[in-house]
Amino acid sequence: FLSLFLQAKMSRPVQARRLEGIDKNIWVEFVKLAATYSKVNLGQGFPDFPAPDFVREALSRVLGGENHMLHQYTRAFGHPPLVKVLAQLYGKLLGRDLDPLTNVMVTVGAYQALFCCFQAFVDEGDEVIIIEPFFDCYEPMVKMAGGTPVFVPLRLKAPKDGKMMSSADWQLDPAELASKFNERTKAIVLNSPNNPLGKVFSRGELELIADLCVKHDVLCISDEVYEWLVYDGKELIRIASLQGMWDRTVIIGSAGKTFSITGWKVGWTVGPDRLLQHLRTVHQNSVYHCATIAQEAVAQGFQRELMLYGKPESYFVQLPKELQQKRDWLVQSLEAVGMKPIIPEGTYFLVADISQFKSDVPDVPNSDEPYDYRFAKWMIKNKGLAAIPLSAFYSEAHKSNYSNFIRFCFAKEEATLKAANDILQKWKKEKNS
Amino acid sequence: MFFASRNFCCHGIRTYQLRTYLLSRSIKHSASATMAFRHKNTRRIEGLDSNVWVEFTKVAADPSIVNLGQGLPDISPPSYVKEELAKAAAVDRLNQYTRGFGHPSLVKALSQVYERVCGRKIDPLTDILVTVGAYGSLFSTIQALIEGGDEVIIIEPFYDCYEPMVKMAGAKPVFIPLRCKNDGNSASSADWVLDPAELANKFNSKTKAIILNTPHNPIGKVFTREELQVIADLCIKHDTLCISDEVYEWLVYKGKKHIKIATLPGMWERTVTIGSAGKTYSVTGWKLGWSIGPENLIKHLQVVHQNTLYTCPTPLQEALAQAFWRDYKRMDDPDCYFYSLSRELESKRDRMAELLKEAGLKPVIPDGGYFMIVDVSTLNVDLFDVDEKQPYDYKFVKWMIKSKKLSAIPLSAFCGPETKKQFEKYIRFCFIKKDSTLDAAEVILKNWNKQ
Repeated sequence: FLSLFLQAKMSRPVQARRLEGIDKNIWVEFVKLAATYSKVNLGQGFPDFPAPDFVREALSRVLGGENHMLHQYTRAFGHPPLVKVLAQLYGKLLGRDLDPLTNVMVTVGAYQALFCCFQAFVDEGDEVIIIEPFFDCYEPMVKMAGGTPVFVPLRLKAPKDGKMMSSADWQLDPAELASKFNERTKAIVLNSPNNPLGKVFSRGELELIADLCVKHDVLCISDEVYEWLVYDGKELIRIASLQGMWDRTVIIGSAGKTFSITGWKVGWTVGPDRLLQHLRTVHQNSVYHCATIAQEAVAQGFQRELMLYGKPESYFVQLPKELQQKRDWLVQSLEAVGMKPIIPEGTYFLVADISQFKSDVPDVPNSDEPYDYRFAKWMIKNKGLAAIPLSAFYSEAHKSNYSNFIRFCFAKEEATLKAANDILQKWKKEKNS
Repeated sequence: MFFASRNFCCHGIRTYQLRTYLLSRSIKHSASATMAFRHKNTRRIEGLDSNVWVEFTKVAADPSIVNLGQGLPDISPPSYVKEELAKAAAVDRLNQYTRGFGHPSLVKALSQVYERVCGRKIDPLTDILVTVGAYGSLFSTIQALIEGGDEVIIIEPFYDCYEPMVKMAGAKPVFIPLRCKNDGNSASSADWVLDPAELANKFNSKTKAIILNTPHNPIGKVFTREELQVIADLCIKHDTLCISDEVYEWLVYKGKKHIKIATLPGMWERTVTIGSAGKTYSVTGWKLGWSIGPENLIKHLQVVHQNTLYTCPTPLQEALAQAFWRDYKRMDDPDCYFYSLSRELESKRDRMAELLKEAGLKPVIPDGGYFMIVDVSTLNVDLFDVDEKQPYDYKFVKWMIKSKKLSAIPLSAFCGPETKKQFEKYIRFCFIKKDSTLDAAEVILKNWNKQ
């Protein structure tokens, strides 16, 4: 015999409603596929080359040292040497005096920084503007916080005759953007340099966004994890440095991307105390501390970079130089086989149009799955080459807007990029024979 | 700023417009907070900003103070644990992302260790989630399974994060205190018990979960099989989940046995059991923990995890996996770290107890964990000049830090609002400290009355 109350409880799902609609995740599926089938993995965004020597040395020093207290808790909001050097660096970059204790908070990767922002500022009924294509976690994080994501697309403008497509050709329509702001808009998420396109927002574009933020009193969550990966001598402009923006912006950074150590999961937020205080509240009630040793090693890495800032030996100068070469190499490689690359201005991602290869993967009318998903999965299984479908970076409603693009990661050893090229060349020959 | 133009003169038409605007926003603000009101915190974190640790770790950061407050070891982790980390960090691939729900070699090692302990098959991919410390497991579990309208039973005193985490999930904490059965004359953590009738009364149709912590922080109680059965019976009767925080599972002293509530009949399917590398291997700074349970519960924790931080650091997980394999292979051997650490801590426990008694204090001897609570009211220290508004134990600890250069944590930090009075005469000492730290504490305690 079960009481009515008990029956009612048992018929309700065990999980909380905040998980509704956020259980699917592209990485779970594609990481598994890549692990099973891929011979060359240009899918998930992580380097397959080693971390720089000075970071590995810092780690060795830390682990070999006498101080075993580095294996114990450190300051919850950020290991003192790390927040100190971050405050120095960002103070320099933004032209401001930053307090390491109140203007900086360390997180478990930029991912957790994003989570803290949404939990701290997005309530039920709040709207958050997300620019498409976007790093896929923004949407479920907004939903988990009870907010409503409002999407605005970057639209591909045809490049000038004869020129290859560039990430700069993907632009916001100012009127369309303005129409997305209303009194329910709590925040806009900006990602520059942008994953997956590699777009580096220009000063004009940032001013457009900034004006709307100020006009509508909206917060800006600025995901700048690829801040050092900017090519062709282009300048990265930080929206927080624009008029009226410091007070309403949280900047997010990542040691994983900065020092090629994605597996260390060290990220940070930089911003005004009156915003960071709320991030601290979320942080102290969710993970509380981040791993001490990882923070100590990253702090030492930054200390070295601060000393070498602007010099040719600086990793912030070396890494983009190296990656630009790899970018150009992959661009050539894709062009040669008939996949049309969109040349990225930044990040280590490149999106290419695979229309010419569609005959290998016939369209299935009325399929639930976007075409590029099917293409990417087929390519992993049949060609052993892993990439990510562009529609993974679009909201459900807009997944079929751009169905012929896939994203490659080029933060890879020469041997990997050559192997990818071999696969593509072989594939092209097979098509032409 | 469009809002600033509406100043607060509150006359005529402006009053109406202003009131309507304010009503529609339902937010109070002051004239000076024009911009700030839109950027204030969300409702879910309202009132959750203060935290005992932020307050006391700052106070005790002075190196001249003997710190027996925050629960962190100042003993070294075993050397093989540190060596495994150095080995892992030297492998390029291990400096990049690993599997989100837990590094394969680690979840495999955990499944083996816990299969042996629980006597049941545990699937490493579906029954385990690796998190950022046990703290992260608590958060993932509560966010996954608890929401507005739910009640969660919390046993007092409790590890302080349970309450704010339950509130952040929109649910209502329902407290029940451990009560000393010997009329306040407690010599052992075993004297602190739940009243079964009082406990039963706390369960109702809204009770989504009960949080159990055994061995218990701060008292050190190790729940007996009978006590666990009382809780289990109620969970089954009311279809309630059990969140079992067992981070101190290996730190159980002579004569006591740690029993996992998940192994009681009818409990596996409704229990999430939480463990901690920090407490197991004395590496609190690694911040690795895990949740183990049935797939139908763990899968929801995994969804939270993939939407909060996605993956935990790789080299730390690999090193932990190797350490676990090493100790798994010697689980029949007394030299296994799980048992040797416990023996080491038992002698520290006994030493700490002696020192406290010598100073005229009455420690409650813990059966497990590395904390010891002490009734300080017997000292009759005059604290009238310390900040009035705080509970007695907060004032006592601050006074002790200042005048005795010894730190501890006030017990009322671990209580709900109703029970603060009951526990404010206790403070908590941590004894997972090296000999020189305990020596320094000894000096202070021996000289306590000579000032």
